[in-house]
Amino acid sequence: MTAVLLQEDAAKRRRRRKNTKHAVVIAVLCAWSVFALAPIVWILLMSLKQPGDIASYPPKFFFSPTLANYAEVLSGPEFLTPFANSLIVTLGALALTLVIGLPTAYSLARFAFKGRENIAFGILSLRFAPELLIILPLYLIFQNVNLHDTYLGLILAYQLVTLPMLVWMLRSFIEDLPKELEEAVAIDGGTRWTAFRHVLFRLMAPGLGASLMLSFIWAWNNYTLPLVLSGRNTEVITTGIQQYISFQSIAWGPMAAATVISLIPGILFALLSLRWIVDGLTAGTVKG
Amino acid sequence: MKHKASLPYLLALPGLAVLVAILYPFLTGTWWSFTSYRLNRGDPEFNWGENFVTLFSSGEGLHAIGVTLTYAAVVVVIECLLGISLAMLLNYGRYGNFFRLLIVLPMLLPPVIAALMWKVMLTENGIANWILESLGGQRLLWLNGQDSALWSVILIDVWIFTPFVVLLAQAGLKSIPAELREASAVDGAGPIRNFVSVTLPMLTPILIVIVTFRGVDSLKMFDIIYTTTKGGPIDATTNLHVMAYLDGIRNLNFGMAMAALVVLWVLCYLISHFLLKARRKEATS
Repeated sequence: MTAVLLQEDAAKRRRRRKNTKHAVVIAVLCAWSVFALAPIVWILLMSLKQPGDIASYPPKFFFSPTLANYAEVLSGPEFLTPFANSLIVTLGALALTLVIGLPTAYSLARFAFKGRENIAFGILSLRFAPELLIILPLYLIFQNVNLHDTYLGLILAYQLVTLPMLVWMLRSFIEDLPKELEEAVAIDGGTRWTAFRHVLFRLMAPGLGASLMLSFIWAWNNYTLPLVLSGRNTEVITTGIQQYISFQSIAWGPMAAATVISLIPGILFALLSLRWIVDGLTAGTVKG
Repeated sequence: MKHKASLPYLLALPGLAVLVAILYPFLTGTWWSFTSYRLNRGDPEFNWGENFVTLFSSGEGLHAIGVTLTYAAVVVVIECLLGISLAMLLNYGRYGNFFRLLIVLPMLLPPVIAALMWKVMLTENGIANWILESLGGQRLLWLNGQDSALWSVILIDVWIFTPFVVLLAQAGLKSIPAELREASAVDGAGPIRNFVSVTLPMLTPILIVIVTFRGVDSLKMFDIIYTTTKGGPIDATTNLHVMAYLDGIRNLNFGMAMAALVVLWVLCYLISHFLLKARRKEATS
């Protein structure tokens, strides 16, 4: 009798200990989440404040919100032009990267040929070079050939950021797909091109989506390239947002509003498909 | 499937073309690093590596190298410790997917803009100082302090890039078969012993990848430092990458700027080369 009770007691204790453990784990995760979210929430609050509330100390957590900052930011070209430029340059760079990167990745994944690993690592090494090493010389070269401060120039230069990772991600996604499927098409009389279009391309669609999404984020987030290579005509969002603090007094409200708007793509991608992002990230880094 | 011998090269041609095209600015820049090239004073003239001597013998040069190495070492160690711990907690606890979403967010934002957000919070009358004062502490100078600036920038780096370590470490942890841990638990290993003898060795390949990416990226950190401090106060946060920008774009001294970049590139190259080699060895063994 007592033995049974003791056993039950021990089981209960073990369960309780497990529950405490879970509670501690969740508490730690909550704490880090607060740390991770607090700056985002704070800038969001700031973007809804009037100038008087922003400057007040101690900081105000309760205030009458206003959308004036957003109205100001969205009504003038100071923000909308860089935002549009960012879209043009990022999407343009992505399109070019896809045209260059997809055949390259396919070749690196599906064929064994001399120099394959050298080419693959040559492309990856671009990812590991300090950006300015290429961009400072490019700055003078672009000025000589009239590519400085043009969309085309930026799109070409952005290949430095987008191409290496896209090639590595796609290569590993293609390697994960069985070769036999394409070979089956060949047995049925199809060419490599039909096999690619009808079989491989469809199977790799999720991987392609993940790769493009991550490349979009990296291109959108880039700062060094436009800092050196863009000018008044092609200012993008990461360089454009600095104008709010380079004035004599900092325009806190509009800056906060502009910041919040430029965070949207990243947050949107995370909410829609974090799984894809994780897949792409591991494909581009861990494998290979 | 049969194919012509030239097909793989033909398909890889666009990628190769980009590589070759990038060689041009790369070689041009490397040549400049051996010249006394100033943008406003005529053509580059070979100066027998004088720039490199200056870099390694002047106070500023050595200071920048020191900042670069300190920043990278501190950031990699802190982010690996925090990232792996968080990944293990995410895999252990409930609501893992929900917490992961919250934890990952900072990594997806533009680093410059994240840095700007922190700059706002770390001003003299900012919320960080208010929290410190409410807790009974003293105000800090944060980014404006000669001694605190580097640590403040490191804090921002940790905020942005710890998620990167979390995501990769999670993938690595998932690839460890549960049987292994169970077997060692049956053999009487406690949680710490289990981590050291099972988890850590199995995690090594992915740890190498993490250190490669975070190591190189923090050696060449530019965005966060330049947006928050522009290398200051004075030169407290001037690493090689920021120094090269200031030398080149502000002082138009392209010779010195390129010398700093070549040194930085060699550092990044060595790290990525050795680590990727170790990784391949690890993968084949």
